[in-house]
Amino acid sequence: MAEAVKEKILAVATITCTIDGQQITVPKGTSVFYAARQIGIVIPAFCNHDKLKPVGACRMCYVEIEKMPKLQVSCATTATDGMVVSTNSQQVREGRKAVIEFTLINHPLDCPTCDKGGECDLQDLTFSHGYDDSRFGFNKMRFIEEEKRDTFDDLKIGPEIVLNRNRCILCYKCVRANKEAFGEYDIGAFERGDLTEINATPGGEVSNPFSGNLVEICPVGALTNSDWRYKIRVWLTKTVPSICNFSGSGTNITFYKEDHKNFVYRVTARCNDAIDDGWLSDITRYGYQIVNSESRLKTPLIKKGGKQVKASWDQALAVIKKHMGEIKDQSGGVCIGGLISPSLDNASLYSFSKLFRTIFKSNNIDFRGDYRYLPSVTDSPFTIAASQPFSIADIEKSDVIITFGTDLIREHHNEYLKIRRAVNFFEATAYSVNPYAVKTADIAKSEMVYSPGTDELVINGICLAAIEKKLVDSSAAAKLKPKISKLSLSELTKQTGLGKEQFKELAEAISSAKKITFIVGEIVARSLERDKICAALSNLNKLFGVQDKGQLAVLSRYANSKGAQKLGLSATPYEIVKAELKKIWGEYPDCQPRNTDSMINLMKKEEIKGFITVGTNPMRLYPDRGFASEGLEHVDFLVACDMFETETTELADVVLPLCSWAEYDGDYINLEGKVQTGKQAIKPKYEAKAAFEIMELIASQSGVKLFENEQSRNEEIEQLLSLNSVLPWPDDFLEIDYDKKSSRDDYPVPLFICDDPHHSGHLTEKSPSLLNFSDSAYVELSKGMAAKIGVADGEPVRVESPVGKIVVPAKISRVLNSDVAIIPRNFSSTQTTSLLMRKKRVDSVKLTRVEE
Amino acid sequence: MTFYSPVVTNAKEIAGHEKLHLFEYVEDEKQYQLKRYLEHGGYAAWKTVLGKMKPEEVIEEVKKSGLRGRGGAGFPTGMKWSFVPKDSPKVRYLLCNADESEPGTCKDRVLMERDPHVVIEGMAIGAYAIGCHLMFCYIRGEFHHSIERIEKAMEEAYSKGHLGKNIYGSGYDLEMIVHTGAGAYMCGEETGLINSIEGEKGMARIRPPFPAIEGLWECPTIVNNVESLAAVPHIINRGADWYRSMGTEKSAGTKLFSLSGHINRPGNYEVELGFSLQKLIYDANYGNGISDGKKLKAVIPGGVSTPFLTPDKVDVPLDYESLTEAGSMLGSGGVIVLHEDTCIVWTILKLIKFFRHESCGKCTPCREGTGWLEQIIQKIEDGRGGPDDLEKLDSICGNILGRTICPLGDAAVMPIQSTLKHWRDEWQYHIEHKKCLVNQNFGF
Amino acid sequence: MKEIITALGRTFIRMPIGMLVVLKHLFKKPVTLDYPRKKKPMAPRFMGRQYLERYDDGSERCVSCGLCAAACPADCIYMEPAENEKGERYAKVFEINLLRCIFCGFCEEACPEEAIFMGHHYEFSADNRDSFIWTKEDMLVKHPRKDNPFKTLFRRVRKVYGVVEKSK
Repeated sequence: MAEAVKEKILAVATITCTIDGQQITVPKGTSVFYAARQIGIVIPAFCNHDKLKPVGACRMCYVEIEKMPKLQVSCATTATDGMVVSTNSQQVREGRKAVIEFTLINHPLDCPTCDKGGECDLQDLTFSHGYDDSRFGFNKMRFIEEEKRDTFDDLKIGPEIVLNRNRCILCYKCVRANKEAFGEYDIGAFERGDLTEINATPGGEVSNPFSGNLVEICPVGALTNSDWRYKIRVWLTKTVPSICNFSGSGTNITFYKEDHKNFVYRVTARCNDAIDDGWLSDITRYGYQIVNSESRLKTPLIKKGGKQVKASWDQALAVIKKHMGEIKDQSGGVCIGGLISPSLDNASLYSFSKLFRTIFKSNNIDFRGDYRYLPSVTDSPFTIAASQPFSIADIEKSDVIITFGTDLIREHHNEYLKIRRAVNFFEATAYSVNPYAVKTADIAKSEMVYSPGTDELVINGICLAAIEKKLVDSSAAAKLKPKISKLSLSELTKQTGLGKEQFKELAEAISSAKKITFIVGEIVARSLERDKICAALSNLNKLFGVQDKGQLAVLSRYANSKGAQKLGLSATPYEIVKAELKKIWGEYPDCQPRNTDSMINLMKKEEIKGFITVGTNPMRLYPDRGFASEGLEHVDFLVACDMFETETTELADVVLPLCSWAEYDGDYINLEGKVQTGKQAIKPKYEAKAAFEIMELIASQSGVKLFENEQSRNEEIEQLLSLNSVLPWPDDFLEIDYDKKSSRDDYPVPLFICDDPHHSGHLTEKSPSLLNFSDSAYVELSKGMAAKIGVADGEPVRVESPVGKIVVPAKISRVLNSDVAIIPRNFSSTQTTSLLMRKKRVDSVKLTRVEE
Repeated sequence: MTFYSPVVTNAKEIAGHEKLHLFEYVEDEKQYQLKRYLEHGGYAAWKTVLGKMKPEEVIEEVKKSGLRGRGGAGFPTGMKWSFVPKDSPKVRYLLCNADESEPGTCKDRVLMERDPHVVIEGMAIGAYAIGCHLMFCYIRGEFHHSIERIEKAMEEAYSKGHLGKNIYGSGYDLEMIVHTGAGAYMCGEETGLINSIEGEKGMARIRPPFPAIEGLWECPTIVNNVESLAAVPHIINRGADWYRSMGTEKSAGTKLFSLSGHINRPGNYEVELGFSLQKLIYDANYGNGISDGKKLKAVIPGGVSTPFLTPDKVDVPLDYESLTEAGSMLGSGGVIVLHEDTCIVWTILKLIKFFRHESCGKCTPCREGTGWLEQIIQKIEDGRGGPDDLEKLDSICGNILGRTICPLGDAAVMPIQSTLKHWRDEWQYHIEHKKCLVNQNFGF
Repeated sequence: MKEIITALGRTFIRMPIGMLVVLKHLFKKPVTLDYPRKKKPMAPRFMGRQYLERYDDGSERCVSCGLCAAACPADCIYMEPAENEKGERYAKVFEINLLRCIFCGFCEEACPEEAIFMGHHYEFSADNRDSFIWTKEDMLVKHPRKDNPFKTLFRRVRKVYGVVEKSK
């Protein structure tokens, strides 16, 4: 908070004050609490939190200020020029003792059974600042449920949160964080005075996507995690710093692990103000449980006679050598293809690329197994847009933030929290422009919902509106106008469903912004016409000069997508990367590069005979299950490396167990381009191996050593990462074609397949805590849509598309207000991607009620 | 038509008395109707202000008159109005604090039920002075009749063009909303009231930032008591010098006092500030002496948040400074009189039960401390007191005083401290002999 | 002649006087205990093998808080907490490695639930190392012991700092 305040307020306005005899100069507006912290004096407090507004409820942070007769609370007092503060005088010490005494009079003697013991703020502060005996003498207040008159008054208020109201010291941190930082209202304070209790809202439960943070900020054991409950005492664990592997932000986390059992016990935040502010989404917090899961692949499997049997590593590698060798000798390396997960670390990605390009001599690799019809051109507008620089910390400094084509609560949780912080604390304005109403628009000044499939027309509309209102440079306007004027502004309003005033509002906001952040997300990245949309964005950028006064980028979704791009993992890497690879390796295969779509096509035609997948599940996640299964079922030899048995490993001839990211040191590049290291927490479980090790073993089967040693590998990676891999936008304005939207009346409802807010990819299904939040697929509908079909919440709905059909329960959404259907893709029990057709711009389905 | 609140006032004595004004027409049955109010010269000040005065001039006039807040704090009203930043682009709000929950005080209720239009007029003038176009009147939920009367008065004012758009053709818009509370003493506190209107729990907020800079929905807000606002039209009509001529030098004007307790004529009385408390209790026109002919034991001069006064201090002028010198506070003017057969411990138990029930629960000393104090005092009253209990009470009171967010903590503790100082022997008797010093307890 | 008298005196006077001490002790009760048939009672505060207590109603006292393990200077206590059917915390695994234990009694002092005590048992030799890992089943008493020296104190303490329900 102090840093952000520093940058927001002009550096010129500072004041000097004296704290405990030391002089310090701080920016104007800093509170005495943070001024003292800057010289290393830590004033004790319960209810103060860096990222929340001060509330002065606990009264623990007293200080004595000259010329003020009463003790002042330092979290609420702004430091002024010439103030003389003393934080340790006799009066202050007596005051703190009194507050601890008051706090403890109704606090139960639960320390032996309380999970917070050992890391409890109340324990620590009582020991350092309190009395050592009590003169209360009465019966303590107890909150009890009539039905369970037992000794232990624990209430389960959410799938993962247990509340004990007796222990609560009413610092209100949970309520404030929930409201200010996350924008949720499912926990609150009820009653008054000393009968005040914190509880979930009546009839509800605390299950928002950030609910785990409430447990972490509770200073006592009132809110505890169900998955940490009675597991181990915190002083018996060790901590290891790491990086979250489920999202592109690269949230900093800490593993708590124990060596004797080789077990990871929990994940907490490791506050990094530039990325996450210390808040973790629930996926980050509970996703680590897949590491401990009992159902992990323990040994390699080999398919013998139609069944997969356990085998040893040597046997599995021998089979790979035999088959891959045959394919390579008979048909050449171009008949081998590979797909790797973008969540793996740099070393694994680079080893994969080197294995294919130098040993198999094929360009058939890709890292985006869940995107349809990706371009095979290195400088398509989408590739350029995805390579642009982005800084999460700059979101706070922006005064206009526009999110386009992204449902942040499902994809980029930490960016949503940063936007909330910018709007609440730093008076930014946010606009949300999406094909359906999203939850994250609750802090937006206005939300614009356009008709699905008209994304580039919206951007054109903004440019046209700006040209009409003369908000931009006229020469640029004259150059752009003929290229986007196939449809006039009023026709655009008809096509997109937005009004002229809305286009004008956006145009004004962009042009008058001092610093702007323009975020483009997965809805655009997954769309068939992503290139067209990014071409329109290129025009917008050039017209308004967005990147001169801010940032515009397509955010990468996975933990190391940026790393994969920089290390040349796509079939057609950037030119500069290609040149560097040629320099390092001395050679570069000149065969036709093939991305995922082409590879699956060729597998179907039996021109690709061998396929290796590492950490991905294209059967479940590729947006056209029919197409993917045709390819993968036809291929002669399939090798699948994964942590669990999935739909893809079922088809494989050889299955190799993969390590999770917690079991080896790895470098990950987040969506900003920052390299962060996740350290090894536990030794690899069972016989799993890291991906780079597997690549080296496969290479050594052919008698070639991939790298001399670890150091040479790291050096090669360093060489690649030191290149400037930001592609420049095209110089001229691009022409945007307009193709008429076709709609099939018998499949009227547009469908969006995305992640559940509590899940990411195909692995989080194995985490028991995340399954407590949502454990099976559903179709999310607006109230109006549900009424049209005639279903209530939870009733089964038949979802049909031209190629597939599923039956899922309906879920009525609080935010959706148009006729769309949203289905999550993370559950193996429902084959959601069988509804999709990869060549369609907007997938559409028909919804009918299932009669009993 | 019956009066809803059958409270005795000294209106008949003052009808025609040119100094006392708040209760001038309060005995008139039809005063609450707009027609009668206009006949008595109503809304003339509002017309004057809109037609001839600028907002700064209004603030100057009120400052000159020396009007001080009548809700309890006694802060000069004109100075409070001038704290609103003139160049702030944000909307301003004026809130009328009609959440009269201080035990012993029932003066605002009379004004709202019998003379609601003067309140509306005062609010309107205040709103104009600070540049506000939407004002709220926050009335306590239990005052059904006051709410009815004020709402009806508001509708009448709207229908006849005293509120609404383009009032009297001056181009000024003013809207009013009546908001009812739901039974919390804390919502009578400034920041609690603001939180309540925003829809949150009625808990206090830390100050700074002060409501005049950042209040309701983070806009500049002024919160004034009903009585202060009711005096404003009279100031505009008769001039600031007239107001200053009443009362004392530092405490100008008149005040309503609600006299209750062991008194022969309980009721609401309007007197000039500086009036002698002894006269208020004993004079035949006012209190007419202690009931049952007993002797005086203690007086609470300003509602139960103020320290008790011993009988030797009773001859004190009723104004802000003199009472502070005597060791108490003027507060909201609810004078409670206790005769010699009242047990002090029993009285204090009643008060601390109230404060514990009404504490909002935000800051630790008030929330836990009032509960602890109640348990100790209950123990003493039941005859189970221990020898170190008085020391404990002193220590706990010292730990709460001045250490809380809002003055409720101080209000809970100051009466206890004053009784421990002046009637310590009675407390001691309770502990040693396990019964009351005086003959009997009885119900009010 | 003199030598005969000296020799006679030594034989019949001095030796019996010397033997008198032996004869005296011949008829005294021996100090030696007939161990193992008779065992000497230990002092009440003797620190032998640990045992885990129960409440009067039969439920286990140990809540597996970890304080005895933290206090143990020899690091010989291992425990795993778990939740029982009522939702209370109890020790699923509680083991003491008696080979490491130095019988100092810090665990008994540290326990906040008055669950672990040093008993009077000292006869537990064995011929393999594994049997020295005492588990909870070995240490848990079958019935709550009535002669627990701290029980009355604990009851008095609980009365003062008891629990009462919040009145609605």
